[in-house]
Amino acid sequence: MRCFNCGAVLTENDFCTNCGEDVRIYRRIMRLSNMYYNDGLNKAQVRDLSGAVESLRQSLKCNRNNIEARNLLGLVYYEMGEAVAALSEWVISKNLKPEKNVADDFLSDVQGNPTRLSGINQSLKKYNQALSYCYQESFDLAIIQLKKVLQMNPNLIVAYQLLGLLYLKNGDYPRARRTLERGIKIDKNNTQLLSYLQEAKSAIEESEAVAVGSSRKSGHKTRASSESIVYKSGNETIIQPLNTPEKSGSSAFLNILIGLGVGMALMWFLVLPARVRTAGNSAQEEIQKVSNELTEKSADIDELNKQIASLTQDNTDLNATVEKLSGGDGLAEKYDILFKAALNYVQNPEDVINTADMLKSLSNEATEGDDAAGLEYSEAFTALYDFLKGDVFAKAAAEYKDKGMEAYNSEEYQTAADNLNPAFELDPTDDSVLYYLASAYRSMEDSDKATELYSQLVNNFPDSEFVEQARGYLRNGAVDETAANNNGNGNGNAEAAGAADAAAALPDINALPQENTATQDAAADALQEALNAQ
Amino acid sequence: MIDFEEELKKFHPSLEVEDAEDHIHNTDVIDVVDLMIQLAEARRNEE
Repeated sequence: MRCFNCGAVLTENDFCTNCGEDVRIYRRIMRLSNMYYNDGLNKAQVRDLSGAVESLRQSLKCNRNNIEARNLLGLVYYEMGEAVAALSEWVISKNLKPEKNVADDFLSDVQGNPTRLSGINQSLKKYNQALSYCYQESFDLAIIQLKKVLQMNPNLIVAYQLLGLLYLKNGDYPRARRTLERGIKIDKNNTQLLSYLQEAKSAIEESEAVAVGSSRKSGHKTRASSESIVYKSGNETIIQPLNTPEKSGSSAFLNILIGLGVGMALMWFLVLPARVRTAGNSAQEEIQKVSNELTEKSADIDELNKQIASLTQDNTDLNATVEKLSGGDGLAEKYDILFKAALNYVQNPEDVINTADMLKSLSNEATEGDDAAGLEYSEAFTALYDFLKGDVFAKAAAEYKDKGMEAYNSEEYQTAADNLNPAFELDPTDDSVLYYLASAYRSMEDSDKATELYSQLVNNFPDSEFVEQARGYLRNGAVDETAANNNGNGNGNAEAAGAADAAAALPDINALPQENTATQDAAADALQEALNAQ
Repeated sequence: MIDFEEELKKFHPSLEVEDAEDHIHNTDVIDVVDLMIQLAEARRNEE
């Protein structure tokens, strides 16, 4: 024992040898605490748990540092099902004496089994719930809850107390007695349990006494009613029905028939309509379900038909596009022609006539970027076409013109027309080609064609040097015939012959180099004189 | 004869695990030795 003032070890003296403090009262308090501890220990050993709790609490009031008393108090609480109270005491004990404390083992055991700790905690929650039901006067619910509590935590003394009290409240004394006796097996000297048990036993004895007294009065057998007999066997009350005589055979048969009739009537009026209604309802539900499915399927079919129509239209459009691309007049064919023309132009630069023929077969719309089918030419196509056309058409026109004029001068007018026609097509700005083409037709006595071409010359080339001659031919169609005849036969008057000669001289003039303007002027003057003479 | 209402008042909610910490903190751990020391100190002060 150490001095409460200085902590020095005390001797047998009544004072501290270190600080001189009087320790007599302190010694008495320590002895008192130990005495309570011993008392609590003795009570705990005989399972007087509630008594042990009281003694150990007294011990701790005297000396809070009595670790043995505190640990034992926790153990007793744990045995009474109060696990949380036990844990609290052990934690305080551990806090007061951290080293060499048996509370360590207790805490480890409890905390090492969390499932059991959780079960105990749940049982405590249910107990609190049951207590709450009692305050709300829901005693039946409280009894059910307390039964569950005792299944989960069979050592919870307060649950036995409360359940026994509720049974007493309900007048169920045998159950109260059984419950309280089970609690007393755990805590033998629990005054609350004992008092309730005494109450239950008293009530049971009282009821037994009443039953015995009443049975003696009625000769130990009573007829409770005209149909049963009540026996009293100890605490149990037995009610036995009286035997009734059997009915006669005819009445039994009649009763069976009546029962059958009633059963059939019930079937006919109650069961069958219900069954028919149920079958009708199920059929109606099935019809509704099928109808809904049909509606959904119809909607799906409509949607699919729309998709088919759309896809068919797309397919048609694509086929048309493919046809435009790959058909006889399609882009592919035109590209092919252009490539052939380009190849011919590269391989045979002098063969401009064939190249021009191939280019002429291409649509003029190629230069505008679109073909008749509405498909676009590429920029490369247009550029190549323009390049070839610009270079080849002029050369081809000149070659055609040369051949045509050569044939014209040789009076091979059909050959001249065959060459001058493509020459004018390739170069429609050359008025001389148009003039000699018209003259060639005139020479072949195709006056309609000649007149058409002369008119074209007059209208499209008003400033041309051949306009006056053309007008001359146009002013008088007969003269044209005459001139043509004169030109063709070498007969007629001198003026007409002079005009024809002047006209015939024109190719030579026109064939001269452009810079020889003086010669041209002279020829023009001669032509003018011939016209005037005409 | 037991008075149910009076007996019911003797019952109190049991401690749950969630309440353990508060219970430990609120436990009154003053003992008789503490009272004796306080009395001794008071007597010394008077002297």
